[in-house]
Amino acid sequence: MHPNGRDHKAGGLQRGVMVLVVLAVLTAIEYFAATMEWPVLLLWIIALGKAGTVLWFFMHIGKLFLGEEEETGS
Amino acid sequence: MSVQPYPAETHPVDAHPVENLRHRERTNRLGLWLFILSDSFVFGALLFTRFYLLGNNRPELIQWLGLVVTVVLLASSFFMNRAEVQMSLGNRQGFLRNTLVTIVLGSLFLIGVVGVEWQVAHFGPADGAQGAIFYTMTGFHAFHVFTGVIFLSLVYRNAKKGLYSAEHHWPVEAAAVYWHFVDLVWIFFYPALYLIGTAL
Amino acid sequence: MKTGILSIGLVRGLLFQAAGFLAGVAVVTVIRLAFGMGFSAEPAIVLGAFFSAIGFMIGVGAFSGWFANALGKPAIPPEEVEEPSGFKRYLGVSYDHKVIGVQYGMLTIAALFLGGSFALIFRSELVAPGMQLIGLQQFNTLIGLHGMVAIVGMLLGGAALGNFLVPLLIGAKDMAFPRLNAFAFWLAVPAVVLVLSSMAAGGFDTGWTAYPPLSIFANMGMQLFFAGVVVFGWSSVLGALNIVATVLRMRAPGMSLFRMPIFVWGSLATSIIAMTATQLIGLSFQLVMFERLFGMGFFNPANGGNPILFQHLFWFYSHPAVYIFVLPGFAVISELLPVFARKPLFGYRWVAMSSLGIALVGFLVWAHHMFTSGMEEYLRVPFMYTTLLVAVPTGVKFFSWTGTLWEGKIRFTVPMLFVLGAMNVFLLGGLTGPILGTIPTDLHLHDSYFVVGHFHNTMFGGFVFPFIAAVHYWFPKITGRKMSDLLGRITFFILLPSFWIQTLGQMQVGLLGMRRRVADYDTLPEFQTTHIFITVAGFLVGLAFVIFMYNVIRSAMKGEVAVGNVWESRSPEWELLPNPAPKHNYPQPLVVTGDPYDYSLTDTEYVELVPVAGATD
Repeated sequence: MHPNGRDHKAGGLQRGVMVLVVLAVLTAIEYFAATMEWPVLLLWIIALGKAGTVLWFFMHIGKLFLGEEEETGS
Repeated sequence: MSVQPYPAETHPVDAHPVENLRHRERTNRLGLWLFILSDSFVFGALLFTRFYLLGNNRPELIQWLGLVVTVVLLASSFFMNRAEVQMSLGNRQGFLRNTLVTIVLGSLFLIGVVGVEWQVAHFGPADGAQGAIFYTMTGFHAFHVFTGVIFLSLVYRNAKKGLYSAEHHWPVEAAAVYWHFVDLVWIFFYPALYLIGTAL
Repeated sequence: MKTGILSIGLVRGLLFQAAGFLAGVAVVTVIRLAFGMGFSAEPAIVLGAFFSAIGFMIGVGAFSGWFANALGKPAIPPEEVEEPSGFKRYLGVSYDHKVIGVQYGMLTIAALFLGGSFALIFRSELVAPGMQLIGLQQFNTLIGLHGMVAIVGMLLGGAALGNFLVPLLIGAKDMAFPRLNAFAFWLAVPAVVLVLSSMAAGGFDTGWTAYPPLSIFANMGMQLFFAGVVVFGWSSVLGALNIVATVLRMRAPGMSLFRMPIFVWGSLATSIIAMTATQLIGLSFQLVMFERLFGMGFFNPANGGNPILFQHLFWFYSHPAVYIFVLPGFAVISELLPVFARKPLFGYRWVAMSSLGIALVGFLVWAHHMFTSGMEEYLRVPFMYTTLLVAVPTGVKFFSWTGTLWEGKIRFTVPMLFVLGAMNVFLLGGLTGPILGTIPTDLHLHDSYFVVGHFHNTMFGGFVFPFIAAVHYWFPKITGRKMSDLLGRITFFILLPSFWIQTLGQMQVGLLGMRRRVADYDTLPEFQTTHIFITVAGFLVGLAFVIFMYNVIRSAMKGEVAVGNVWESRSPEWELLPNPAPKHNYPQPLVVTGDPYDYSLTDTEYVELVPVAGATD
């Protein structure tokens, strides 16, 4: 995945909406799981899932590891 | 005699280390992430403290309030991302609008936690381990939300002055990453305080 | 226009620190009065302490670049800032890493001198049973401050070496973040002031480890101690972050990680630890501060807390901290041995990796400080295993040093003497580690003077001796002059035997049952004689250090001018730069053309400057 290509930029708004939906769904499941007292491990997995999503799609942690040549836009 | 440089190995050694803007931004990016790594140790230690002292118990809190502030913060991250995308598309107005929404939502989060939760909680900071943990965890986090709001306000003002472009807007990226980090911490603090374990 | 004494950053900083303190006191008092609560000294002093640090930073001018950025104005790039010439340059904000390195170095020497002086006071008290010179609270405060100030001195020393050397060794013109560099240095100054000011607020009786519940009930000096350490922690973190970014981003072309001078590896490993673990001592101290101020029940069992929690949080930093102290020292040894044995560093890659290995394993051993704490029993054996394991990467270094020396053409210069002394001293320190790391023996020796002997041994061997070696070695590069060879040898030949007497005395008296952190002891001849030896030896150690300080100051002003590659080193700062090293370091980019330690190959170079365009091939 190239986080910085021109197409990537254009799809950025849409991607943001998808991420929000994912986060909302995970949060809903998380709340439900807690209320229904499902195993705690599930809550941790959901938290890690949310965290990974934010780290990759919002914080662009991938950009930290890119080589110089792969950057076109920001 | 020509100089034969050692073949550069497959690692991030810049072939042209002459200071250019791109190099500087990548260095800044590393610096910011190192700061975030360092700061995560504080929050990690707070999580350790919470489980060490309370174990399988948790403070008794108002669930709907916790869910509301969580939603507010996640939404603020959405608008922060939107703002950053707008900036990289060159849309300054879009950036300003979405940043303002982020600031408002961040402030609402602070009102929700410090303004409401802290006032209505049935225990105070001096009420045993649960008080100590709840107010410290939310307090450290709220402090970061607060500084994030300040950072965003400065970036907002500077963007309005036209200091950033689609190609170069490092402070925007920095503020956004910091903001998402604050959200990231809450992604762990919320279940740790509200969802995991039996209420005391 | 700033003229006269107010043009000196340090002076302005201290004035603003005092003002900031008063402002903090005022804010708390006004708020409390507004809420109908009376004046209370402790919260006022705590906020005063933090405001005083901010005040200092404003006064010295460390915020100026960022203020400009925040206001949307362009800040002058660090390279273009005009700085005063002469000694004054060192008393204010400079963005030049070499200046900052010297500033750190001066603060290091001051801290070591001060911390050492505290020790000489309480060691004088310990010469005989009974209390002759100082009171109990004073004794306790002095041992606590001796510990923390010495620790601060060692952290500053690692920062001094890293900041001065890393850009030079990797061919960069400065650190990755020059303004952050200045900021991190100057944070240390108000921090030290705060720590020392604890003496004016009644001191504290916990020792530097500040364990609750005692630290919850200690005098107000405890809060100033905490505040100072927390602020110092931020200095540590920011400085370390800068080194990591610099090493990863600013190396010269062709200088892959495995072609860096070995010192850089040590500095990198040190900085990774400092950048992460330090947050935990900061947090643990802040939590005690909250417990004192707001009654929050973290550590006091009466309030729902657990004192062992503090120990976990505290030692999670404070054990890796000892590797922050010694990894730069080890790196100096690795860097200097090839120069003075005229041989390659034995097992360079292993040595490089061993620094990271020590850093990693060092994170896994902390609870060996807690074998007697009452923590869960099942934790003890695993921590014993990890503790013994850390000897492995350390051993790698020792074997490398032995291999480097083997059949070398040894040059017994003053730096080399201190390097050999370091190895000699640390060897004993390292050998006494497993005795403490093994649970059955630790149960008897914990909190005894044997521990004091062990860690002074490792600290002198791992930090003090190498630091003195490094100062002697790089002095020409810093000042353009040589240190006095004669005074250097006198320093060494007083320091080494005195230190041995001191450390063996401490271990012996500890094995006989002498506890640490006690102001008095039973009148037993086997105790007292040894205590006299320890104290006298301590004074001689102090004398050696004073001679060293005199040597530094005098040589900087009047030392013999040092021209050229004084030590015949292959390292870039010696091969390619004059003495002292010029501003912005290398006039052209440098390129790696050989290995750093091929001393036996007389016709190869490690680095060369990129030829100017138009030169013939």
